[in-house]
Amino acid sequence: MATVSFSKTPALAATNGAAMAAVLGAGIGSCAMGAFVLLNEAGLFAAPTLYGPAGGVTGRTTFATIVWLVAWSVLHARWKSRDVAPGPVFTWTVVLLVLAILGTFPPLWGLL
Amino acid sequence: MLFSERSIWTMVHGIGLGGGALLGLAAALFYLYAARPATLSTETHTGSRAFATVTVFSAVMLWLAVIIGTYIIFPPYRVAPPPGTIDLSEFPRSLILANPNTVWLHAFAMETKEHLPWVASMLTTAVAFIAVRYRPTALSNPAMRRMAFTLLAVSFAMVAWVSLLGVFVNKVAPLD
Repeated sequence: MATVSFSKTPALAATNGAAMAAVLGAGIGSCAMGAFVLLNEAGLFAAPTLYGPAGGVTGRTTFATIVWLVAWSVLHARWKSRDVAPGPVFTWTVVLLVLAILGTFPPLWGLL
Repeated sequence: MLFSERSIWTMVHGIGLGGGALLGLAAALFYLYAARPATLSTETHTGSRAFATVTVFSAVMLWLAVIIGTYIIFPPYRVAPPPGTIDLSEFPRSLILANPNTVWLHAFAMETKEHLPWVASMLTTAVAFIAVRYRPTALSNPAMRRMAFTLLAVSFAMVAWVSLLGVFVNKVAPLD
């Protein structure tokens, strides 16, 4: 019996590296957001204000977005044609997400 | 005029873009929950196309919401009143901070709203990328489904949470 494939892009679907890069990149960017907020609240590093009327949030969010895009780009370049084990990627992404949520949780800033 | 420009932007931000993102995320989660895994049929392919469309839609809504929220809504919210101002109704942050019972609306709600939606935007964009690039298999690959569902669920929870906080802030100190 003949096998019929419905995949229109078999080369892209053959490896999962690009997907894993996107997921882990989002985790890294999220964690960067939490880190920039925590560093700012601790008085250790304040990202420069990029738009005065909106204040420091413009610097923190822009810096975190840049970290996200750079991390995603680097991971994508390294993993796009490879198969990457999804388990560790998923675990690390969840860990980074938890750190991001903690970093952007205002009640925790009082503990610094 | 029935609505001021600031009020219209607030509605575009909260109801239009935030609400649109919530609807899109809910639809995407439904697709992931309802679509049958481990089959690569024409039916699944159709679902994958819809899934890709709705995740891209959600990501676009979220990015527009955070950019408009940060650069258009936030400045008039945080503007400081001139010295001696008694009526603070035009200065939402100062109005909130002037009442001990509503200080939390800035110290917790607005501070959360400043940053958390950006995280949701990144997560949703990652899933949208997967849904587009792996469109034929995104719904049938168990690992991708699990990751996509988790990221979208977290994103949905974040957007719903900050939307609720936004309603509270706007109720007490609206941008009129």
